[in-house]
Amino acid sequence: MPSQPQLDAATRRFELNTSLRSLLLSGLDLPDDPEHVDFDEPLFGRGLELDSLDTLEIVSILEEEFGVLVSDEDRTIFGSINKLADVIEAEQQ
Amino acid sequence: MTQQSRQQQPTQQQPIALVVGASRGIGRATAIEMAAHGYRVVGWYRSDAAADAEVARQIADDGGWYQGRRTDITDQQQVREGLSDLRRTDGSLQAVIVSAGITRDGLAGTMSLEAFTGVLQTNLVGSFLVARGALRAMRKHGGSIVLMSSTSGIRGQAGQTNYAASKGGVIAMTQALAKEAAPLGIRVNSLAPGFVDTDMFRAMDPRTRASVTDHIPLGRVGRPAEIARAARFLAGPDSSYITGQTLVIDGGMTS
Repeated sequence: MPSQPQLDAATRRFELNTSLRSLLLSGLDLPDDPEHVDFDEPLFGRGLELDSLDTLEIVSILEEEFGVLVSDEDRTIFGSINKLADVIEAEQQ
Repeated sequence: MTQQSRQQQPTQQQPIALVVGASRGIGRATAIEMAAHGYRVVGWYRSDAAADAEVARQIADDGGWYQGRRTDITDQQQVREGLSDLRRTDGSLQAVIVSAGITRDGLAGTMSLEAFTGVLQTNLVGSFLVARGALRAMRKHGGSIVLMSSTSGIRGQAGQTNYAASKGGVIAMTQALAKEAAPLGIRVNSLAPGFVDTDMFRAMDPRTRASVTDHIPLGRVGRPAEIARAARFLAGPDSSYITGQTLVIDGGMTS
């Protein structure tokens, strides 16, 4: 049985992922139904099929909405919504 | 720290122009020019708050809107904070004009590394940091970025290896940025003034200063207002099909 702190952390993570997903879909003008975008779905290539120009939008969202500063040098952080959320949580701790 | 002067309330219909280096010289003239042509101007200055206050007073006297902010463009955190403040300003950022620049002239053989890199840090790296932020700030609606090069970036002068390197770099960076920014509807151009009647020119060696007009077909140095009008042209819709270019304004000197 998870502890209350674990449940709270899971809730915060879910809310973060949901917020990120919403920001990405609206910021990138994607028509996808949020409910059909998995948090582990690849952002580039198969999946959401984003391109390099979209990287600017992602970097800007992270900075403007979460105060997190990243560059495009670490490609792995752009792998999925969960990977972006990992970066945000690491910065906020 | 900010200083603000306004005669009219900002409306969402008015575009915003960020002028970097607004407290002196070409930047000051550009801030005044943009405000006179309907832009709400946010001016960044490095250290001279009194000079910035004077710019604010002049623009207010002319019925314009101006807000000054102390920002060191070689500090990326300050640039980020400045642009974050801009996002909270009513209106739409349409133009970013970078007029900040320094010289530390000296012969290359005896120039310190710090004198070389320091000039590059302000003139080239600072321009990059502002341009990078501008791309992010204008990515949704487009706009125009105007950087400041120099005729020294086209034909380097002895005693200015650092300045020439920085201003030549601005020209090449303008071309690269323009290609990246075009899909976003953002144009990027630069100005290359020759000799202009500013503090920088007046600080030159007197003998050199006296002889420069010998090499200028129009027979005089430029005025800051003349460079400012060119900046407004590149920043605004009249140059809508121009990007990646460097506009030389030198009285014919490099022709």
